[in-house]
Amino acid sequence: MNTMKPTTQNLEMISALADGQLASEDFAAALAICEADDQALASWNAYHLIGDVLRSPGLAPQASDAAFLARLRTSLAQEPPLHALVTSRQPMVADMDREASNDGSFRWKLVAGFVSVAAVVAVAWNTGAGLLAPSAAPQLAQSATPQLAQARPEVPQQVLVMSAQGPVVRDARLQQLLAEHKQFGGTSALQMPSGFLRNATFESPQDARR
Amino acid sequence: MNLKHLRLLALAGCALASANYVAAQAPAPAAPVQAVESKNINEWLMRMHEASRNRSYVGTFVVSSGGVMSSAKIWHVCDGKQQIERVDTLTGPRRSTFRHNDQVVTFLPEEKLVRTEKRESLGLFPALLQTTGSHIGDFYQARQEGRERVAGVDADVIALVPRDAMRFGYRVWAEQKRGLVVKLQTLDTEGKVLEQAAFSELQFDVPVKLEKLAQMMNKVDGYRVEKPGLVKTTASAEGWALKNPVPGFQPMSCHKRPRVTPTGDEPMQWVFSDGLASVSIFVEPYDAQRHARESRLSMGATQSLTRRVEAWWLTVIGEVPMATLALFADGLERRK
Repeated sequence: MNTMKPTTQNLEMISALADGQLASEDFAAALAICEADDQALASWNAYHLIGDVLRSPGLAPQASDAAFLARLRTSLAQEPPLHALVTSRQPMVADMDREASNDGSFRWKLVAGFVSVAAVVAVAWNTGAGLLAPSAAPQLAQSATPQLAQARPEVPQQVLVMSAQGPVVRDARLQQLLAEHKQFGGTSALQMPSGFLRNATFESPQDARR
Repeated sequence: MNLKHLRLLALAGCALASANYVAAQAPAPAAPVQAVESKNINEWLMRMHEASRNRSYVGTFVVSSGGVMSSAKIWHVCDGKQQIERVDTLTGPRRSTFRHNDQVVTFLPEEKLVRTEKRESLGLFPALLQTTGSHIGDFYQARQEGRERVAGVDADVIALVPRDAMRFGYRVWAEQKRGLVVKLQTLDTEGKVLEQAAFSELQFDVPVKLEKLAQMMNKVDGYRVEKPGLVKTTASAEGWALKNPVPGFQPMSCHKRPRVTPTGDEPMQWVFSDGLASVSIFVEPYDAQRHARESRLSMGATQSLTRRVEAWWLTVIGEVPMATLALFADGLERRK
């Protein structure tokens, strides 16, 4: 068993496992590490999450996310009871914290921070078939920081969605309903010859996710 | 209706075209209602519909709407009974949409996600024309405006002119041989183009096998499959009625879409159509946090309006003038 090896070496192994680079003996050894060490398993999950985020531009944090995260971090810092809640109730986030503190390297901390960011995004994502992420996130921010929202009235109540392709400002919820209208509202005699093609072709900002 | 009939009508249409050609050059005035023309709109629509069932092609389709331009590569294969289509976006995030009759599968490779759904609305035509409640000819008239070349094919230009200000007009370019729609414009009440879609390149009768596309459509290995769960309902069962119906618009369907949200709401979607344009009314419980302000937005041919009605939040979306959306919003009434 390799459980006695230093954690960093294990992590490299897990990283290779997540990348699909291991075969036969190494593969079995890596699996054994995961089985024996909860932290290793958590790392495996984290690497996959990182991989997913890197592969999918839609998941990558953008300027609006950064602003949201800054607000979220500030508000989390201002809420000690919430901290207690996080350590006791949310194992995923707690795991990330432990990994970060296990390694003194600043770079790894950065990655861990990124992953916990991704975790927050992913959690929001899973609540509503992907489309809800932008709308769910500010609600989280608002409920966590009522005082902040009041102090800064310019913070929009609705999520404004800026399309990369045009000056379209909409809220995420409207985007979702728009997509649903296109899907099920296409009751037109022109739908069959060309309406369907139009809707399948047209790059609605909703598909840009934000 | 048989094909012979269609061909005769097409011939008649061509004859009319040459007669109307000069008149069509100038912006057409609101023409007087003519029995022949109002009857022809159904024939034109039927011909376009038939062409999409009988014509196989590969092409590039371009959509321009609200300052946004998108394009896609299209494969369309049919054998008269069934049809399969593949639409691959060439702009924006990668996405492949397959349609086998009314079954639609959308691949989002960047998210490793597949959405599968049955779109009943796709099967509604030509039943939409045949139902007694739907008189497209009462609200639009067809007028041939000459011929033009689009994507390398000669096409008849047909204007579908609304008879009132409650709907938009359309200009359709239908391939002369069989009637396949090669270009479509949506025009506002002043005749300005709101949105247009057209083939930029088109090849007919290419050797693409129906089975091969069907195979690709079913290859979902490695993807997460998502199926939207729709629950059919009726507006009256949900406690809603339209006290003042909007002329020409018939209720088509009503459903709820359960989704996991922080509030656990299930918005109702009530769909109306006048045969060419459709309008969706969404109703959900009012939430002061999310529904901060009422809005009116327009994007290409699609308009949307949101409004608070007592304890409810209304979102009306459709390819109709804003004033028509307002009629729907005004007409909606709580009956519970």
